[in-house]
Amino acid sequence: MGTLIGVLPGIGPSAGIAILLPLTTMIPPTSGIIMMAAIYYGAMYGGSTTAIVVNIPGEASSVPTCIDGYEMAKQGRAGAALGISAISSFVAGTLGLVGLTFFAPLLANVALAFGPPEYFALMFMGLSLVISLSGRALLKGLIAMSLGLLASLIGQNPLTGAARLTFGWVDLMAGVSFISVIIGLFAISEVMINVEEAATLIYETKIKGWMPTWKEIRQCFGAMLRSSGIGFFLGLLPGCAPAVTTFIAYDVEKRVSKTPERFGKGAIEGVAAPEGANNATSSGGFVPLFAFGLPTGPALAVLLGGLMMYGLQPGPMLFQQNPKFVWAVIASMYIGNVILLVLNLPLVGFWARIALIPFPVLGPIIILCSIIGAYSIRFLLFDVWVTLVFGVIGYLMRKLGFPMAPMVLATVLAPMLEVSLQQSLLLSLGSPFIFFNRPIAAFFMALAFLSIIRGIWIQVRSHAPEVAIDESDD
Amino acid sequence: MRSQRRGDIVAGCFIALLGAVVIIAASRISGDPEERLPPRALPYAVGFMTLAGGAGLAFRSWRYRGQDLVIKWPDRDGALRIAVNLLLLALFIALIEPLGMPIVTALYVAAAIWYIDRKRIVAALLTGAGSGVVVYYLFIKLLELQFPLGLLQR
Repeated sequence: MGTLIGVLPGIGPSAGIAILLPLTTMIPPTSGIIMMAAIYYGAMYGGSTTAIVVNIPGEASSVPTCIDGYEMAKQGRAGAALGISAISSFVAGTLGLVGLTFFAPLLANVALAFGPPEYFALMFMGLSLVISLSGRALLKGLIAMSLGLLASLIGQNPLTGAARLTFGWVDLMAGVSFISVIIGLFAISEVMINVEEAATLIYETKIKGWMPTWKEIRQCFGAMLRSSGIGFFLGLLPGCAPAVTTFIAYDVEKRVSKTPERFGKGAIEGVAAPEGANNATSSGGFVPLFAFGLPTGPALAVLLGGLMMYGLQPGPMLFQQNPKFVWAVIASMYIGNVILLVLNLPLVGFWARIALIPFPVLGPIIILCSIIGAYSIRFLLFDVWVTLVFGVIGYLMRKLGFPMAPMVLATVLAPMLEVSLQQSLLLSLGSPFIFFNRPIAAFFMALAFLSIIRGIWIQVRSHAPEVAIDESDD
Repeated sequence: MRSQRRGDIVAGCFIALLGAVVIIAASRISGDPEERLPPRALPYAVGFMTLAGGAGLAFRSWRYRGQDLVIKWPDRDGALRIAVNLLLLALFIALIEPLGMPIVTALYVAAAIWYIDRKRIVAALLTGAGSGVVVYYLFIKLLELQFPLGLLQR
């Protein structure tokens, strides 16, 4: 169920848990919580399916998977991409669970060391990934990032409530949902491109093999380990969205690779890394949830609601007062991880065959799922109109060679960036040096500036026209 | 605007104009300027970033004299297909509340499939009807999502 929910564009883990929550009331509480947890990490995996097969991310964290996953699919290797996604999710998810099992109390204290300056520095470092995501089109990537920041600023200021960039429209006061942005940029524009070309199939390449080879699995082993670590440790942090960890994992993999030029053209590690990070993040998120009752994101906030609905109070005493429940949930996650692999590997062929559905039928179905996903965000038609507008914007961006990943990244990061910046400046009485005299924050800021300087240097030396190579339709 | 260079110049100018609009809009945001981070601070910053980015793109493209690329804009038929599909989608959204999600889903899916491929009339009707049924029974009845029922409510 979680995988099916994650497959639908726009209906991510948090909406999925909220939608399926009533079903869990029909079973005993422990089983209900186990079911919700399974839906959560199932949905985290499910978002990769449409990202790989039809270039439509199920949620923000699947956007990096689109970059190389869809390229692999166009080369006839959707099965291999889906297979490595399942394997990487299993490996990283299991390693994350080991971390949760043995190190939960210790690691919870790490999460407490993060205050607003550390969060701002982390988000700023996340934004510096735009450099890497832009490929050869750095200036266009920065413009896309600006447009993403702009979209996220529309609405009310999060701390003062002042209206910004609403131009008197009441509908805009609620802001623009980043889910609408993602669905529009990817799903709607992808369908428009195929409609324009009168495509009979999403891609014409013959399918070559349904699974990754052993050599490819070994090749991705390092990526799985690295993404496990990145996803798990960043997943510990309240507010650090899975989208951030997947982008960082992708970027790290590209940097450590001996052949980084393959990324963006169907590098299998480019699928393994974000998918591993995705599932490791979901394991890491349970650490502060169980230890402090602190949800690290919307999906876990819904899970927290579910826990309280059953009379369980997450926090320091949960392990003492309800040990059977806690260990039952953790044990179920190990089993759930195995089931995820056992169920989804045989389904790889099924999902890959989605691309064989004639486009005249598949296209409207994709649009329908997108509209359902967009409407389900807040049950406002406004969100659906926004999706349509961003669909047109996404189409124009593809034609003009603007990369879309930076825009998505900026839209996701901007709210957290602004709130943490505001809180940090309050703490420091307006001094910006707070980001440099705290060791963790200074570390992330240094990484960010190094990334920016390196990216600008590479771009200045290049004299080619600005074209986003990671979203070529060739 | 077939060449990448010309497209970038036009896009850059448009984006710079957008940045200017944002800066003007930001100047009208109310809030206490004595705050650590006034509400208009980030809109100003992003507005200037957008203006500078757009102007930079336009200028860099104007100066570029190397090999140019061609943008694959749609031909007349392709543009018509896109326009009709966008119109169908807009109608879909506009009619969600009056007709209800199940009915408008069935109509949209059937119409869109038939328009893209005129030979698939049976597939269009069956897929349209099936989509409407799935939306009604799966999303509205089973998952109890608050989708508008429209005509089905009466």
